[in-house]
Amino acid sequence: MKRRQGWLFFIIFLLTLSVYLLINYPLQLGLDLQGGSQLTLQIIKEEGKVSRDELEAVNSVIDKRVNNLGVSESNLQTLGGDQLILELPGEQNPLVASRVLGKTALLEFRTQKEGTSTDLKTLQLQRLTIKELIEQYSFAEKSQNDDNFLKFIQDDLEDIEQELNYSSTSNDLYGKLIEIKKYVDKEITNLFIKTDLSGKDLINAGRRQEQTNSNWEVLLTFSNSGGEKFAEITKSIAGTNQLLAIILDGESISEASVGNQFASSGITGGSATISGNFSAENARELEVQLKGGSLPLPIEIVETNTIGALLGSKNILKSFYAAISGLIFVGIFMIFNYRILGFVSVLSLVLYGFFNLALYSLIPVTLTLPGISGLILSIGMAVDANILIFERIREELYDGNTLTRSIDSGFQRANSSIVDGHITTLLSCFVLFLLGTNFVKGFAATLGIGVLISLFTSLNCSKTILRFFTTYQSLRQKNLYLPRNNLSN
Amino acid sequence: MKYNLELIKNKKKIIGFSTVLILLSLLGILYSTFNTSYKKPINLGMDFVGGNELRIERVCEEKCSNISPDSVLENLREISKNKNVLNNIKLQFQNNNKLISIRTPYLSIEESNNLIKNLDNIVGPLNYESKDSRLIGPKLGKRLLTNCVTSLLVSLFAISLYITIRFDKKYALFALLALFHDLVIVFGIFSWLGFILSVEVNSLFAVSLLTIAGYSVNDTVVIFDRIRENLKSKKEGYNETIQLSVNESFRRTTFTSITTLFPLLSIILFGSYSLFWFSLALSLGIIVGSYSSILLAPSLLLRD
Repeated sequence: MKRRQGWLFFIIFLLTLSVYLLINYPLQLGLDLQGGSQLTLQIIKEEGKVSRDELEAVNSVIDKRVNNLGVSESNLQTLGGDQLILELPGEQNPLVASRVLGKTALLEFRTQKEGTSTDLKTLQLQRLTIKELIEQYSFAEKSQNDDNFLKFIQDDLEDIEQELNYSSTSNDLYGKLIEIKKYVDKEITNLFIKTDLSGKDLINAGRRQEQTNSNWEVLLTFSNSGGEKFAEITKSIAGTNQLLAIILDGESISEASVGNQFASSGITGGSATISGNFSAENARELEVQLKGGSLPLPIEIVETNTIGALLGSKNILKSFYAAISGLIFVGIFMIFNYRILGFVSVLSLVLYGFFNLALYSLIPVTLTLPGISGLILSIGMAVDANILIFERIREELYDGNTLTRSIDSGFQRANSSIVDGHITTLLSCFVLFLLGTNFVKGFAATLGIGVLISLFTSLNCSKTILRFFTTYQSLRQKNLYLPRNNLSN
Repeated sequence: MKYNLELIKNKKKIIGFSTVLILLSLLGILYSTFNTSYKKPINLGMDFVGGNELRIERVCEEKCSNISPDSVLENLREISKNKNVLNNIKLQFQNNNKLISIRTPYLSIEESNNLIKNLDNIVGPLNYESKDSRLIGPKLGKRLLTNCVTSLLVSLFAISLYITIRFDKKYALFALLALFHDLVIVFGIFSWLGFILSVEVNSLFAVSLLTIAGYSVNDTVVIFDRIRENLKSKKEGYNETIQLSVNESFRRTTFTSITTLFPLLSIILFGSYSLFWFSLALSLGIIVGSYSSILLAPSLLLRD
């Protein structure tokens, strides 16, 4: 008896502790419950596996970029060796993040090959035309213009294709325009030779508005050795008709000549500006990318989930209703069939709920929709153990045993089959947790934790509560445990 | 209350019924593989094939006006760049025209934002706080599919291993047979749902199959335990002992299934729509699982 009382106090202590934990460490809600965006970034590697170091390197670059973007409370974590998950809570637009994060941001400085001036001029002109055509196309689409206008763009495009001696393979006009633009960009880049100066030589980047117009320019600050390299390179082409190109991810974003006055020592001072018709937004994005450095491996955004805040709070409410009504259904069923025993199992279930939630805030487990469904499902499974025990108790009572004896042997004899029965469910949870996606892991975690805790609540807690009840004489009548007519059987 | 299921008498009926269910499931799977537009055993959702799914509510005073999806699509076609995407678009109004739900092939975030902007122009204003948007690249989809199939195989293997270690050969074989029976039928039902109601399966479906596997084996384990226990102690004949054991554990098996079904039913009734088919699959699995544990698996043990 003493030992049971000890258990009772222990359970009350655990309950108090759980309530304390829940008040002081609120549950972490997943994005599907609080609203926000989640982006999955896939690291692309053509051959072989992404190594730990590479994953770390990509992670740190992305982390820097995210910080420089100034998104609040973002959360970046790696997943499965070659993926990163970025969570942006609240109503933050994932568009900007995706534009900034998705680019490799490989910055190169290249000098023009000798004797390619005419080629470059032609290509630059073609690039300009293409850009204009793309703008016209967008305009034509928006204003729902007639087909003649599109035909006009089509014709211009075909002219350029002929000049380039290249024919695009895309199906629609827009795709063709983009394809040709890429081709021209590549051709331009090919006219320039790589130097040993790159984005790695930067120590900082910034932006400012140009004085003459509303465009923005991006400022680059080189390290000491970078500054020397830059001086060396500019010196080598100063006064010639060779240009210096700044190339970002294979696309030249600026081609500039170096004046004769730099022929003796090159451009010194360790800084440079890129002024290529940047809008404020574009300049900021480039700044963030350059500050974070280039990605060692390219990445691709393979998944984006966005949940509005209103929908999130609706999801919480719905899950709450589902959990409570599930509990009520189960409670009614149990009390109807098992009387006092059923009431005991309902009390254990309530304890079960508290312990579960407290453990979530302790570990911590981030609660998501699948996670909640795992929790709700585990309510039903938690009561399974009680049913096994109660059935045994009933059998003992039918056999004419005393109440105390029936309860004792009921718990004892059901023990092994309960533990046994949960093993396969735990196996499934374990596999799901190991192999599943983020989404699935939540379900596996809550169901698995639930099954484990239920072993404690349905075996130990319900036994303790039942023992406590049976200390009262008035609660010891057999008909409170079984329907009377059944006893006579 | 004593139960009296006449297992021995009805052995043929039970096995026949299960055979019919399995054949129907296989028929659905075969039909789905060869005769549908998607040519897969089951209608794979965008988790596995990639795509863009958008649900967003309109802001309306009192009642939302009735707009035909076709006219919206026509408008969208006129103002959108990417014609390819719009050829494969599915658009529906739900909830008294309030909720718009759209499926398209994979879009970039930018394209998806444009789509929403265009929608806002046509059927707006839209409530952005109610937005639920998912974009999944085809590459990730393939990966998720392999992932799910691997999880399923690994855990089926683990469960089979556990059963073979725990029981002797005959029991293990029949427990596994009952398990695959449950999985095939649930899979088959969703194959049928796939081409009849265009219900798609996502990664949560794989999760439900795994959970069903874990859960349904439990029930069979408990009943087989009872049979083994009774075979050792009881003096009645082999078949009679099996029938007795089933009747003895009938109440507990149905009760545990019912208490597990209640919470699932509450999710179906009150929970978020994204959990609807998941809970339904789980419920079906638990129902079929109880049937196979109580009636099918013990019937297979009976001697002629």
